[in-house]
Amino acid sequence: MSFAPRPAIQPWKRANNSRRLQIILATLLPGALSFLIVSSASIDPNLALIAIFLPLQIIAAGIVGVRAYGKRGFGDALLVVLTTFFSAFVLIMLLSVLLSVLSEGSKAISLQFLTQNNIYVSNTTSLDYGGVAHALLGTVLIVGVTTIVAVPLGIAMSVYLTQSQSKLRGIVRTVTQALSGLPSVVSGLFVLSVIGTFGFSKSGIFGSMALFPLMLPTVARVAEEALKLVPADLRLAALALGAPNYKAFFQVILPAAKSGLVTALLLGLARVIGETAPLLLTVNVNNGTSWNPFNGPMETLPAYVYGYLSSSFSSSHQRAWGAALVLLLLVAVLFGAARFLGRAKSMKSKPTKQKASK
Amino acid sequence: MNSLTKASTLSSEDISVWFGQRQVLSDVNLTFPANKVTALIGPSGCGKSTFLRTLNRMHELIPSAGLSGSVFLDGEDIYGEDFDAVTVRIKIGMVFQKPNPFPTMSIKDNILSGLRLSGRKIGNAEELVETSLRRASIWNEVKDRLNDQAISLSGGQQQRLCIARSLAMDPEVLLMDEPCSALDPGSTRRIEETIKELSSSMTIVIVTHNMQQAQRVSDQTAFFLADDNTPGGVVEFGATEQIFNGPIDQRTNDYVNGHFG
Repeated sequence: MSFAPRPAIQPWKRANNSRRLQIILATLLPGALSFLIVSSASIDPNLALIAIFLPLQIIAAGIVGVRAYGKRGFGDALLVVLTTFFSAFVLIMLLSVLLSVLSEGSKAISLQFLTQNNIYVSNTTSLDYGGVAHALLGTVLIVGVTTIVAVPLGIAMSVYLTQSQSKLRGIVRTVTQALSGLPSVVSGLFVLSVIGTFGFSKSGIFGSMALFPLMLPTVARVAEEALKLVPADLRLAALALGAPNYKAFFQVILPAAKSGLVTALLLGLARVIGETAPLLLTVNVNNGTSWNPFNGPMETLPAYVYGYLSSSFSSSHQRAWGAALVLLLLVAVLFGAARFLGRAKSMKSKPTKQKASK
Repeated sequence: MNSLTKASTLSSEDISVWFGQRQVLSDVNLTFPANKVTALIGPSGCGKSTFLRTLNRMHELIPSAGLSGSVFLDGEDIYGEDFDAVTVRIKIGMVFQKPNPFPTMSIKDNILSGLRLSGRKIGNAEELVETSLRRASIWNEVKDRLNDQAISLSGGQQQRLCIARSLAMDPEVLLMDEPCSALDPGSTRRIEETIKELSSSMTIVIVTHNMQQAQRVSDQTAFFLADDNTPGGVVEFGATEQIFNGPIDQRTNDYVNGHFG
């Protein structure tokens, strides 16, 4: 046999230049061909992507696959093309959203934008004045209150669903699943009717109430899955050591499920942090800063975005993009912090326990 | 804390077990004398592991489980009013078929977990950890990495860690449910040596599918069998020597000589 140029560390990946050329051609040709067809005939490019490019790509990859491996090569090629195509499709859509928010939003963002409210801002005020501080504060307070109530309750529900033998579990699970499909505007309407019936005025706390039934089922269901993943072995091991049920749960099952429970918190946050309709209904809007969720209207980031996008002035649109970017950054910061805390705690637990035992 | 308590005698009287409507064990009467190792052998599905779990009240954790008969620990019925499941499990430790160390805890914390979980005081933690690990003959392998996560150990080491975890509770009886079935011959040999050493301070009941193992480690052997669609039960019970070399029942003879099962 011929001399190998370098030691074959991955012998299953033999250098095969003619195959490599085929793969390069199969990757480039369908795209180029579709481009020619679209530019010569007047076909909608979006339609052409699915109706011309995708079939051509499948055929090209199929030919390479069949030449190399016979019949089964076609199946592999089909799978590779379809998964790559649709992954790229979704990725491009997500990236476009992210990039447009980044590029538009960054024009508005400055220190002043993050630290001022809009109390002296009108439609014609330049972007050098005003900001989202009041909306950021409102979102953090309202979502914070919802989280503080919904996460412990949601986790408690998941514990009930996974650890108890009660016959009521089926009902609780069904209700939870039904609730998780609750449209947010309905939740907002319900709280609005409560406000109307009792003659309250709109305020932040009612926004938290309207978000609560949206967050609770998400947290409960994800936490239930996390607890289900803890091997039954561990509980048995703890019980066989003479642990009462609650200690087996708190000292063995809960720590083992921790990262899953952090995910439950994050998905719950993600569910409610961008909600607009229920907040517009129950919290109203406010150009000034309010620290008190129990009294008077508050601004929130989604409501801010909605409000300024509805205006016809371009500086208002800039403010909306800026607020959208701040919302995205807030989500990123919260996710990062939660992941970090979820990890840091498990590392810390060692030294503290050592001290306790000395 | 570390003074070794006297081993206890455990005995079962007319133990029958149901899962739902189905009876899986019928009238098991066995005595496990103090400081003796008893092997429970028999084909899969004959109820020996189920029987083992009735001995420290792990059986009742299965929702459809049913039970009649009594288990006596030094003459006291562990299903009686003076006992509760937690107390029973503190006195009668258990090692499972699959190693199950707590993955979120270090090696050291795994050893101490039993005392913490059962709410008892830890006297001298360092000493208890060392003694327990030594008794399970794993001390030399882990003494420099006591704060490493328990799941970083190999399968055989994990199983010996689980044994050490049970020993830290200073049990009067240790139940072992096929403790070596997932282990290589080297780890198996070490665990067998451990079992022999432990029998000087406790009573041991071990379920095994390995005939040689039963012969090597046990003083007495009980052969379980479940005929088609009937509840399992004890066919023959006696000194290991006699069960393997001169069984009275033909079925025992066939089983220990590998003719079925």
